[in-house]
Amino acid sequence: MSTVSLLGLSAALLLAGALVSLVLGGRRKASGWASVGFVGAAGVALWAVVVRTFSAGPDPEVTLLSLPAIGAGFVVSVDCLSAIFLAITGTIGFLTTLYSVEYMTRYRTDSVAKYYPLLQLLFAGIVGVVATGDFVFFLVFWELMTFASFFLVTFEREVRANQRAGFKYFVVNQAATFGMIAAALILWTRSGSFRFSAMRDALGGLVTTQPALAHLVLFLFFMGFATKAGILPMGDWLPDAYPAAPSGATAAFGGTMTKLGVYGLLRVFLYFLPLSPVTRTWGLAIALAGAVSLFVGTLTALKQDDIKRLMSFHVIGQVGYMFLGIGLGLFFLPSNPTLAALGLLAGTFHMINHSLYKSCLFLGAGAVAFRTGTRSLSALGGLRAFMPATAMYALTAALAIAGVPPLNGFASKWLMYATAILGGKAFPLFAVLGIVAMFISLVTLASFLKYLGSAFLGPPSPLRGVREVPASMLVPQAFLALACVVFGLVPAWPLAFVHRALTGLASAASLPRLESLLGDGPGLQAGSDLVRVAFWAPLPIAAALALLGLAAYFLIQRAAGAPVRNVPVWTCGEEAGPELSRYPATSLYLPFKRAFQGIYPSIHLRAPAFPSWLRRAFDLDAWLYLPVARAVEGGARAVSRTHVGIPQVYLLWIVVGAIAVVGIVLAFLG
Amino acid sequence: MTAVLLLMVIVPALGAVLAGVLGKRRAPVVAVAAAAVVAVLAVWSVATSFGTSYRDAVGTLPWLTGAVDSPVFGVLLDPLGSVLLLVATLIGFLTVLYSAAYMGERNRDHAVVLSQQGPYYFRLLLFLASMVGVALAPNFLQLFLFWELTTVCSWSLIAFYGNEKSLRAGFKALLITHIGGLFFLLAVLILFVQTRSFAFGALAQLPESLRRWVFLFLMIAAWAKAAQVPFHTWLPDAMEAPTPISAYLHAAAMVKAGVFLMARAVSSGWAMPPGLGMLMGAMALVTMFLALSYYFVQDDLKRLLAYSTIAHLGYVLLGVALGALGSITGFRGGVLHIACHGFSKATLFLCAGAIVYATGTRSISALGGLARSMPLTAVAFFVGLLAVTGVPPFACFWSKFMLLEGAMKLGGIVGPVLVGLVLVESLISFGWMLRVGQKIFLGPVTPVAAVNSDPPWPMSVTLVALMIGCLVIPAVAMPLVQLIGR
Repeated sequence: MSTVSLLGLSAALLLAGALVSLVLGGRRKASGWASVGFVGAAGVALWAVVVRTFSAGPDPEVTLLSLPAIGAGFVVSVDCLSAIFLAITGTIGFLTTLYSVEYMTRYRTDSVAKYYPLLQLLFAGIVGVVATGDFVFFLVFWELMTFASFFLVTFEREVRANQRAGFKYFVVNQAATFGMIAAALILWTRSGSFRFSAMRDALGGLVTTQPALAHLVLFLFFMGFATKAGILPMGDWLPDAYPAAPSGATAAFGGTMTKLGVYGLLRVFLYFLPLSPVTRTWGLAIALAGAVSLFVGTLTALKQDDIKRLMSFHVIGQVGYMFLGIGLGLFFLPSNPTLAALGLLAGTFHMINHSLYKSCLFLGAGAVAFRTGTRSLSALGGLRAFMPATAMYALTAALAIAGVPPLNGFASKWLMYATAILGGKAFPLFAVLGIVAMFISLVTLASFLKYLGSAFLGPPSPLRGVREVPASMLVPQAFLALACVVFGLVPAWPLAFVHRALTGLASAASLPRLESLLGDGPGLQAGSDLVRVAFWAPLPIAAALALLGLAAYFLIQRAAGAPVRNVPVWTCGEEAGPELSRYPATSLYLPFKRAFQGIYPSIHLRAPAFPSWLRRAFDLDAWLYLPVARAVEGGARAVSRTHVGIPQVYLLWIVVGAIAVVGIVLAFLG
Repeated sequence: MTAVLLLMVIVPALGAVLAGVLGKRRAPVVAVAAAAVVAVLAVWSVATSFGTSYRDAVGTLPWLTGAVDSPVFGVLLDPLGSVLLLVATLIGFLTVLYSAAYMGERNRDHAVVLSQQGPYYFRLLLFLASMVGVALAPNFLQLFLFWELTTVCSWSLIAFYGNEKSLRAGFKALLITHIGGLFFLLAVLILFVQTRSFAFGALAQLPESLRRWVFLFLMIAAWAKAAQVPFHTWLPDAMEAPTPISAYLHAAAMVKAGVFLMARAVSSGWAMPPGLGMLMGAMALVTMFLALSYYFVQDDLKRLLAYSTIAHLGYVLLGVALGALGSITGFRGGVLHIACHGFSKATLFLCAGAIVYATGTRSISALGGLARSMPLTAVAFFVGLLAVTGVPPFACFWSKFMLLEGAMKLGGIVGPVLVGLVLVESLISFGWMLRVGQKIFLGPVTPVAAVNSDPPWPMSVTLVALMIGCLVIPAVAMPLVQLIGR
């Protein structure tokens, strides 16, 4: 089957699934399993597209629908970059839907008829966004995605905070989309078409003829994609909106939707924008935006108590890493293709990794909430005893996000550090950014240790009757955790695909070959063409780590061989429950919290208040129409006074009138 | 073809009489049947005449024989008229269907007794007939006659409930739109005296100095009819009418006659002086932002929608003004907006009607959490909301987008500034509408919203049909507007 028919099949499956799950909405599980079937089948179709695109090369563009009235057309165009996103969507989409089947039984009063159909519309929107080659339809799918996710965010209808979060999300993203519409229109006036290739031509022309306008266009695109991705300050909607959605949907947002900001960024800056000095400027801007975001986002995450909110701030931080990597890559693209390739690979690979571990983390947080009914870290504790599998997957994903070797987060971050430090020679600021990024990795680790420690370790919290979640909720987490390990051990595999996707974009076509960058082993040797400055061979190191770990385990076992006597702690006769002896999550990292208190300012917008004089001026009824109407009425009343009903008075009027008429006639004749 | 077009006027007119005579229980049946026939005929005639402009003479006034160059009465079905015809007849049919349930004794806002059925459908069908007449009018005189007929119907329907408030509102609407009508008449008379013709194309033959005045008078008429600043004050008050009337007359059809007049005048020869085009565009912008400023102080759901209608008619006039300034894409976008806004706003109004029917209140602050008891209405409202604020893939996105393209085509600094202003207006109105939708349907359930369920089936069917309309109407209307050209 061709790419178009496969994509059509997957879209049809997703829409059919939306319809079927809507019809089955009254029966929670049936609706869920039907959705799993449809999303799974659609995922298979998407993977078929991926395999086809990577094995046989991208199919030529196909125009399915042409709208000459607005100069747009529905063009299906899947290149290797799109294929990567299709693969992510197919996988994460299926896993989160599977997870949702049991998870959604948690909501007693909210019908799943407003969950599964929208989830599938969201996936359909994502597929559309990455598979179209025309900007108008890109926007159409982009908005489909936005409004489907809006209804997922506001799923819990009666919670005011969720409603506010959804509102903020939709309005902020709508503003960003309007900016992109304006940018697309500016390019359209130059080329007369919204095809990606035409937009590339138009932007190329603008860069040479009107650079200021080109910067404006790029700024609008950047704002649009940065907003969706969650870059601060535009991403302020994210920590409110993500936790509000059901956990399956949150994982889908984190794994798929946010990533489309990165997709757009790559599409615009590596395809629309021809290689020019402008690329360099924007590379710097993107890198700085990413650095600010990762710094502020992650530090703010440190103070959170709500698990999902904590993780949402880490989304901001992690997207910051992606932007940093891509920004570095763009900066060096015109001058130093090796460093450019490292940066772009790092950013894009980090995006894939983030999809894996952040989805896993959100699913884990959902599992905790599913069993305990709370997301507050202070209320949790000791869950490892009851939910060992969830604890293990959460541990894996948490170490991955913190960049602990040999997991996947380390592989991409390591490339990023290498780019920043190597790039620091040419542009010292980047060395600083690299150090900031490393420091923030530590903060990430601290933050997730807090999560793991508070939720899974320590004495059990007063929660009773907690058990492990059902298998259908564990399998997605297990898969994702495993993927984190595999991508960490053999990063060269996914990087080969990322490299192909990047070199498929016109402005990055001349990047050096992957082997010349990273060698041909499973490890990564950054900058091997220039000078071999670093070497990372995950497999041997992982083996060594495993051996060391085993040795440490046995040593501790032996050292702790003394007999253990179980007695209650003596507290001078006081009664002290486990609550008193627990170290609550809120008490962690207090100095940090104090030092970075004002780092995340919060702004509250109000509806505009109009001055009363303006309101009065607008009220035409009050000062124009009603006075006129009253004057007319008064005039009529005055005239009606002449109608007194006495014949003599009427006769008098006739005489007076006749005299007046004669007078006038005489005056005119004379 | 001529016979079919004439039938579209005659059938509802006859239906009106029949409904008025039969009254009581049979009136709705007759009305639904008549409106359905008209809708089918309209779809058929638009489909068969697609791509052409059908024109035929029917008759003339005996005392005008020799005075005018062509017969006074006739029919004209061209792409521009087709758009209005489809909006008027399709939404007309849906409104009549909706009314069959809404105008009943179980309406918690205004129980309607059986004896009122006859008069109601008489006026509604008469309005449908006159609206078809407006869409098919081949010259200014016929357009004027049907135009005034719609004004009369509007007056009597606003005042339908007969209480103090609605009588006042009806009178106000009549006065303002009729004063506008007088300007229309003045323009037609000047045109006739100068050119011995009522034809649309005769505008271009007028000398420059007179043409300016004729266009200005036509514009005043259009402003009054379409509730544009400074004549906007009648429309919010007209919300005293039964909700189907607000949806049909005061959002989808009658107020569109005003913008339709301007579209006709501008597109017949493209002879509008550019200065007036500027004025029209500027006033459209003023209207959009003025109407927007009223959103924030509005607690009455229907009045809020009325202000939104005013703003959206401003959009259409902005598009027409772009056409007058030389941007055909903008003009087409404006005309497309007639259809797109018609369907989306009718959806919103009829949802408001369903709410009023079930709860008896239209105060936004009193309502909350209705999605639990009225899921279908909630879905329809959000679809309407997304459609009217221009979120793709729903209706108004396409028309607004075309309009923006047209504005961008103007070149210079004007185009981008227009685009910026329109986007700002869109964003703010989107935000406010979304907030209102969330307030009414999501959030905790308020006491008034606690007891009800989705409306009876004729209303539900209408809502579903309109939701589909919000999705597909751009696909229907876009090929039509594309045919409008120089």
